[in-house]
Amino acid sequence: MSSAADQYRGNLQYAVDIVLCIDATGSMKPVLGSVKSSAMTFQPRLEAVMQEKGKSISQLRIKTIAFRDFGHQEDDAIESTDFLRLPEQTETFRTFLHGIDATGGGDVPESGLEALSLAVSSPWEKGLDRRRHVIVMFTDAPAHPLGGPHSSLQSYPASIPPSSDDLLEQWGYPRSQEALMEQSAKRLVLFAPDQEPWTGIQEDWDMVLHFPSKAGDGLQEFEMDQIIDTIANSL
Amino acid sequence: MKHNEVVNGYRIVNSPTNAGGGKCMWAFAEKSGKPYFIKQFLSPKRPKPDAGGSERSKQVRLEACREFEQRHRGIMKLLKPDMPGGGHLVLATDFFAHGSTYYKVTARIDTSTLEKPQLLESRQKCILLKTLAVSLQLLHEIDVVHGDLKPANVLVQKRTGNAFHIAKLIDFDDSYLTGKPPDREEIAGDSLYGAPEWRRYVQDDGSVKAEQLTTAVDIFALGLMTHYYLTGALPQHSERFDSPADAVSAKEKLELDPRLTDRMRNLVLAMTSRAPASRPRIATVISTLKDSKVCDLVQRPPATSAASATEASSNPLKEDRDFPSPGRLRTNIKGTPRPRREPSSPRPETPSAATGAEPTAPGGSSKASDASRKSRVRINLGDRRK
Ligand SMILES: Nc1ncnc2c1ncn2[C@@H]1O[C@H](COP(=O)(O)OP(=O)(O)OP(=O)(O)O)[C@@H](O)[C@H]1O
Repeated sequence: MSSAADQYRGNLQYAVDIVLCIDATGSMKPVLGSVKSSAMTFQPRLEAVMQEKGKSISQLRIKTIAFRDFGHQEDDAIESTDFLRLPEQTETFRTFLHGIDATGGGDVPESGLEALSLAVSSPWEKGLDRRRHVIVMFTDAPAHPLGGPHSSLQSYPASIPPSSDDLLEQWGYPRSQEALMEQSAKRLVLFAPDQEPWTGIQEDWDMVLHFPSKAGDGLQEFEMDQIIDTIANSL
Repeated sequence: MKHNEVVNGYRIVNSPTNAGGGKCMWAFAEKSGKPYFIKQFLSPKRPKPDAGGSERSKQVRLEACREFEQRHRGIMKLLKPDMPGGGHLVLATDFFAHGSTYYKVTARIDTSTLEKPQLLESRQKCILLKTLAVSLQLLHEIDVVHGDLKPANVLVQKRTGNAFHIAKLIDFDDSYLTGKPPDREEIAGDSLYGAPEWRRYVQDDGSVKAEQLTTAVDIFALGLMTHYYLTGALPQHSERFDSPADAVSAKEKLELDPRLTDRMRNLVLAMTSRAPASRPRIATVISTLKDSKVCDLVQRPPATSAASATEASSNPLKEDRDFPSPGRLRTNIKGTPRPRREPSSPRPETPSAATGAEPTAPGGSSKASDASRKSRVRINLGDRRK
């Protein structure tokens, strides 16, 4: 006599997608190693925290976008992976991270907003019961505004919106119509200096956690705890 | 919000963090020499008057802000810090926008998260549970569902000179009126402590309508928390399920710790019933907790079933009309179906109340008694790098 209402629909499934945007310009040299090694241990640490809480994630994917500066050198300004499933594709993830060298970039600012735009338009998971879509930005520099002269370069991705107002629309807000991000799933974690455009993004965008790096200090204090908390405490 | 910044008169006294929180940044603050807890909401953000973007976009964002303010002021009107008994609820004393961002202020509670509540004596546990239940009653009496009840949202306070731990309930930001929850996509809740109807609502199960999410959602969570505070672990269930609610949804019985008294077992089973209407009301929970003996952990010879064990087996809840007796219960000493985590301890235990000995939690290792010699509480300094 089990009616439809009585049918058990299976365990609640959580999908977590993370896009790591990593500044790979020369000035990041002193910290890039620690960013990479924390990135490598992220999956087992997240799993351990979830397990300690008696919870689990059904699907974890990570996409990495390394960025430098379109204004300095066009051809290595953006390097990225697709979403990789962890732990299954750990080797591919490791190889990509290993290959990132902190070089170039010329003077600040860098192409951080381009990386952020590409992250926003990632093919996020739309299935399963509940989702977390987290973008993490690691940079020690301000970024060029969108729509500048670089946007006419041949290799400049066509999907990048022409202005920061358009990027905000893609990020979205409660009840927005044009958002590419799912409102209840999205988070942006900024490990970035207290400079534009990051300060403005923290002011104007919702669901942003900004952990300002001190000028000159790079990202030395950086830990993955903030990212793990953002995910684990909200599931 | 930054260390040393002054936000609407509140000076931030440490580095803001998201530790322990899922949807906010928080810090401690001071105003006129008084300590406060300040929470920065991540959403919504108020568009600046001179912001770019279309007028329509600004209107939509402003409308979301108006609704957000209304909801918060609505909760603040219902739940006032000076309401009778309100001392156990950590309520907002201030709510404002500073720049584009909303903030909420409450009293700073110098608390500890009780790491091993099961090591308290049963009288202590009972007081802790009763203070928690009384707090919840304040909400339920005005038809408010807490909506995110879990140990992380209970600050345990032990006043110097007072032997008892008191529960302070926090985080009413996801509260809603009974039967009127937020949308399926937006409703908050914890995947471990969530009730079966909450999980099905989240899963977009059309047979669960908004009006079915009531104060009984909190009762389910409180049932699990009661088991946790008494024994140090949640009830066990088959490994097939990710959470107690999933097991209950599939009509599987939860395996409770065999050391619970019969009255407590009946209470927890009823609180974790599949059907919201079968769960007792908070007043029934409170009246069961009146006798602190219900919180004892009792010795049971391995072969006896819980229902026939030593304790007086009259159902203390039978007068409650909307609360059917849970019937005879099965104790699963062998641990089949395979429990998700370590099996409950079949070892006979000494009642803690009688000897003052600290019981070992099921699933706990022998380390538990070592740990008890160290501090049982972890002080929340609000800065993980300290
Ligand atoms: N009044 C207070 N005094 C001291 N610490 C507090 C107070 N209120 C909350 N905290 C601490 O701040 C942390 C975050 O608070 P809170 O649970 O309200 O945040 P949240 O992001 O809404 O979390 P949740 O994931 O539970 O929804 C808590 O884990 C608690 O340790």
